[in-house]
Amino acid sequence: MSRSSIIVLVFSAAFAVAVLLTARRRRTSEHHTFSWLLVSVLTAALALWRNAIDTLAAAMGIYYPPSALFFVVCGGLLWMLFRLSLQVAEQRRQLHRLAQELAVLSAQRPPPAERPPAPGTAG
Amino acid sequence: MGAGTLIVLLAYNEEACITDVVAELRRELPGIDVAVVDDGSRDATAERAREGGAVVVRHPINLGVAAAEATGLLYALRNGYTRVVRMDGDGQHDPHGVPELLEALDGGAELVVGSRFAGVESFRSTWLRRLGSRLIAGLLSSLCRQRITDPTSGFRGFGPRAIRYFSSHFPHDYPEPESVLMASRQRFPIVEVPVKMRSRRAGVSSLTPWRSTFYMAKVSFALFMERFRAV
Repeated sequence: MSRSSIIVLVFSAAFAVAVLLTARRRRTSEHHTFSWLLVSVLTAALALWRNAIDTLAAAMGIYYPPSALFFVVCGGLLWMLFRLSLQVAEQRRQLHRLAQELAVLSAQRPPPAERPPAPGTAG
Repeated sequence: MGAGTLIVLLAYNEEACITDVVAELRRELPGIDVAVVDDGSRDATAERAREGGAVVVRHPINLGVAAAEATGLLYALRNGYTRVVRMDGDGQHDPHGVPELLEALDGGAELVVGSRFAGVESFRSTWLRRLGSRLIAGLLSSLCRQRITDPTSGFRGFGPRAIRYFSSHFPHDYPEPESVLMASRQRFPIVEVPVKMRSRRAGVSSLTPWRSTFYMAKVSFALFMERFRAV
């Protein structure tokens, strides 16, 4: 195994460990954990199967194999960013709705300092 | 005139004038309830509005004009109001225009837009803002297939169907022009009535010439996007 393969494998393993540690501390959802672990596995696979990029480039009709790798990586990152932007928009909508419901509820039931005293209570 | 009617004032950092604006509305339009939506002000807007006699619906964080309008409509929906008039908290909208908006709602309109350019002499804004407003009006009129003279007016009335719809569907950034198009696509009857606009009582407008131009471009894009969305 070449030195570059070992470096990439170590990088993949470290990345996988980091992802698993954040998942263990419940700082990321299972859905995201799966996606990032998949990235780690694919990186490791490319390190082990060195002809994969050449095969992929030939299948895609790309003359310069690293271009195929760039294309695949850029495509994958673009897709992940797009998914994240969808999630941000959805969470923004939910946050707005939550704040609105809270505002309406607090108007219907103002804080204790602004409420008139209940009958039979002192003050 | 006032049964089932709520005036919703949108306010953000308007402590200097909100008490007077609420007091004027209660004096000029007795019998109509007034709610102030405080969009997460950092000053004492909510306290001053309560002093004036309004119910205060307060956002815990600043969500923007569109969400504030929707919150006012949500409050109206939850409390059984069937007509809502939305006005700005800076005193630019003349309360004498409210009866005409309510008349139009009684006549079957679901969205009534108080227009500064439909016949009544008003406080004149800058030429750049008037030009921008004209361009957006032309675009909006063609998209709605109905003449709209004042697409950016925040002085507007909502009927029961519009209250229900806009309390849960609201545009992201530009509530005035976008909501007219949304109402048109929902086939809500839209009516414009002439209203008088005054200069603001306190504070300064956040729209500089550069921002006005940027606003125009973004609104045009938002309108095309709204036309593209599913109904």
